[in-house]
Amino acid sequence: MDLIHPHSKRDVVDALRAASAAETRVLIVGGRRHIDKGNPSQVDAELWTTVLDDRVAYDPAEMLCVVEAGMRIHDLTAMLAEGGQEWPVDAPGDSTVGGVIASAAATIRQLRVGAMRDTIVEMEVVTGDGRLIKSGARTVKNVTGYDVHRLLTGSLGTLGVIVQVALKVRPLPKAARTLVSGDGGLELGRRVLDAVPLPAAVLAEPDRIVVRLEGWPEEVEEQTTAARSIAAFDETDALFPEACFPEASTLAQAAVAPSRLGALLAGVDRCRAMLGVGIAWVPFEHEDALTAFRARATELGGIAPVIRGPGGLGAGAVPAPEVQRRIRAAMDPAGILAPGRAWSS
Amino acid sequence: MAELDAARDELVAALGADAVLHDPLALRLYARDASMVEGSAGLVVFVRSAEDVVVCMQVAARHDLPVVPRGSGTGLAGGATPLADAIVVVTAKMNRILEVRPEDRLAWVEPGVFNLDLGNALRPTGFTYAPDPSSQQVSSIGGNVNTNAGGPHCLAYGVTSAHVLAVDVVLPDGSVGRFGSEAPAAPGYDLRGYVVGSEGTLGIVTAACVRLTPLPPAVRTLLLDFADVEDCAQTVSAIIARGVVPAALEMMDRGIVRAVEAFAHAGYPTDAAAVLLVEVDGLPAGVEAQTREVEAAAREHGVGTIRIAADETERALLWKGRKSAFGAIARIAPHYHLHDCVVPRKALAGVLSGVYAIAQRHDLIVTNVFHAGDGNLHPLFSFDRSVPGTLERVLAASDELVRLCVDAGGSLSGEHGIGLEKRDFMPLVFTAEDLDAQACLRAAFDPDGRMNPRKVLPDGARCGDYAAAALARDGALPEGTWI
Repeated sequence: MDLIHPHSKRDVVDALRAASAAETRVLIVGGRRHIDKGNPSQVDAELWTTVLDDRVAYDPAEMLCVVEAGMRIHDLTAMLAEGGQEWPVDAPGDSTVGGVIASAAATIRQLRVGAMRDTIVEMEVVTGDGRLIKSGARTVKNVTGYDVHRLLTGSLGTLGVIVQVALKVRPLPKAARTLVSGDGGLELGRRVLDAVPLPAAVLAEPDRIVVRLEGWPEEVEEQTTAARSIAAFDETDALFPEACFPEASTLAQAAVAPSRLGALLAGVDRCRAMLGVGIAWVPFEHEDALTAFRARATELGGIAPVIRGPGGLGAGAVPAPEVQRRIRAAMDPAGILAPGRAWSS
Repeated sequence: MAELDAARDELVAALGADAVLHDPLALRLYARDASMVEGSAGLVVFVRSAEDVVVCMQVAARHDLPVVPRGSGTGLAGGATPLADAIVVVTAKMNRILEVRPEDRLAWVEPGVFNLDLGNALRPTGFTYAPDPSSQQVSSIGGNVNTNAGGPHCLAYGVTSAHVLAVDVVLPDGSVGRFGSEAPAAPGYDLRGYVVGSEGTLGIVTAACVRLTPLPPAVRTLLLDFADVEDCAQTVSAIIARGVVPAALEMMDRGIVRAVEAFAHAGYPTDAAAVLLVEVDGLPAGVEAQTREVEAAAREHGVGTIRIAADETERALLWKGRKSAFGAIARIAPHYHLHDCVVPRKALAGVLSGVYAIAQRHDLIVTNVFHAGDGNLHPLFSFDRSVPGTLERVLAASDELVRLCVDAGGSLSGEHGIGLEKRDFMPLVFTAEDLDAQACLRAAFDPDGRMNPRKVLPDGARCGDYAAAALARDGALPEGTWI
C-alpha cells in the first residue's frame, strides 16, 4: 500500500494525474471516521488529506467560512467559536470537513438546522484525472452554473478529492439544553415531537427519549415546559451528542420517511431514531439480522447502509444508472477512485 | 422543417390536436419568457402527465429536435426562451397537489402548481413551503425547482434546493427516474441536487416531493427607515453581528418606496432614503428577544422611526408593499430590466453606491428592492424601449453592473439563474476547466445536447478530450463502479 500525503492542492493534482496514468487505485482518506461506509475494496494507495487543513477565509459578518477540506472538525469548531458561530453539523472532532461531506454524514440536529448538504456553497475538487475545478460561490445565495459540489457530497471519494470548501455557518445558539426521560419508545417520542415547538432534535431509544433544545434562553424554557407536559425529563449536558453504540461491531444507519420509523424498528431492541427526520441507528452482531433489517428498509422505500464495521452499503435501486456511470466517467475517466465502493443491486 | 412537421403530426396523433399549438400567434407568444430575449418556438406542447412528457422526449429524440421546458414563463434570465425552433413543453396544466403528508413533513406536487397555491393549501396543516419568490402568485413549483428560486424568507430557511426532497424526471432519451427520496438519504450520487437549479437543461421535472416547514408560533414584522442609504446597509450587518438571523431582511430605496406607496398605500415613509423590512420568527419569547436586538442595531445606525406591525392585517400590508414592488414600477416607465446579483454582505453599501453611479453615467432611472440579508441585489432599470438608443444604454449599464458585483467578491446570480442573459459572463467567475467539467456533467444527462441547448454555459464549454472519450465509451465502466 502506497501512501500519498499531499501538502498542497498542486500535490493532489500531480498525484492523481500520475495515478490515472498508471491506473493506480486510490482511496481518499480524511479522519478515517467514515471509512467503513461502502467498504472500499482493494486499492493500491491511500491519499491522506489531513495536511490540507488551512483556514482560507473567515469573516463572521458574512456567516461563511472557507477552509481546506482536511481540517479537523474540532479545529473548525474552535475557529468558528471565536466568531460566536458554528457549522451546524454534528460529527466527531477528529473527522475532517471533507470526510464528513464526502460521506454525507447525518446531523443530529437536522430537524432544526437542516441538512448538511445545504451548508456547502462553494467547493474545489481535484478530479480523478487531476483537474482542479471549482463550483459555487462565496455568497450565501447563488445560482451561477451547475452545482458540481452537490454530486461530490456523499460521493464517498469516487468522483474526486474535495480540497476546499466554503461553508454556511450560523450564530451559536444563545442557550442550549438536553432533556432525558426515563421512559422511551417511538410512541412517547412522537408525542414529545408534537408537543415541543421547534426542537433541535428528538431522539427515541427503547428506554429513553433525548430532546435537544436550542434558541434564546426564554425559548428553551418554554420548550422545556412543553416537553415536561408529556413526560418527566432530567436536564443534562453530558449526553449530547454522545457516541452511538460505541461497542457495537456493526452499526447501520437506516433512512426512511419519518412516519415509517415505527414499521422499520418493530421488534428491534436496540436503536436510536431521529424523529421527524427518519434516520435510525441500529447495532448488529449477526449478519442474518442485518440482512433481514435491510430487506425491511427496502420494502419501506428506504436504505440501511453500514457506517461502522463490515456490510457495505447494501442494496439500493440507483436511479438512472447510465447517468450515474457517465458522471463517474466524466470525473474519474480511468476509474481509479475507490473502485467497488458501490450499492449492490 | 420536415422534421418539425413530422414531429408535430406524431405529437398531435399521440396527445390530441388541442395539446399542440403551432399557429403563428402561439409560436410568437411562447418565443420568450419574462426576460428581454426573444427566441423562436417550433411547436408548443401542453403536457398533462409524465407519460405525455415521455412522448414529447421520444418524438424530439426521433427527429433530433431541441426541447425547452416551460412552467409559467416568469423566468427573468431567458431560461425558457426557445432557440432554433425548439419544441416548447409547457407543464402549466400539470397543476395538481398530489399528496400532503404532514406526518412525513412532505408533499408531492406536479410542476405546474403555483407556489402561493401550495403555501395556502398547506396552511391548515400547520406547515408551509418556505421558498417564497416575489413571483409566487404565478410562478410554478417546476420553474422554482429549475431555477432554484429564492425569496425573502430564504435568509433563515434556505433556497429551493433545501426544500426539495425528490424529483421525478423524464430524461432526454425518454427514460424516467426518481432522484432523491422521501427518506433523508438515497442511493447513488445526488442527482436531485444537480437537477435543482439546472434551468431545464438536464430533463423535465414531472413531480416534486417538497419538504414542509412548521409554521413558526410567533412572527413579528418591523419597518425601519433611514435618512442615509449607507446606514441602512450597515444595519443589515449589525443585526447579523448580534447573532440574530431574521426570517427576512429586505431593503428598499427611496425610488422604489415612492412607487410602491403610490400603488399599495402601505404607509411606507416616502421621505426616507431607504427602508428595511425585517421579520423575525420563532417562539413568542424568542421573537421578543430578537426584536430587541434588531431595534438596538438599528438605533446604533441612526434609524428614524421603527414601525412594528400591530396585527396580521398590518403585517400583510407591509408585505404587500414589498411584494408589489415590481408591479408598482410600471408607474415609472413602461419597461424595466431587473437584475439579480449577489455580493458579500459587507460589500452592500459600496456596491449600491456603484449601482447609482452606473445609472447616472448611462442616464437611466434605477431603483433597488432586494434581499439585503443575503447580499442579493436586484437593481431595476426603468426605461422606455421606444426611445432610440435606450436599450443599448440599458445593456451597457447591465454589463458594468455584473462586473461591479463580481469585482466585489460576488457572483452572477443569486436566484434568477443564468439562462441566456448571463451565459457569456460565466468566464468572469469560472475557469475554462471549470466550465468544461460542468459541460461534461451536463452531457452525462443529455449526451445528444438537445435539452434547452445553449443555455447556462457559454458556447465554448465542452468536455475535455480525455473525459469525452471516457464518456463516449458507453458502459465501459463495469457494473458496480457507481456508488
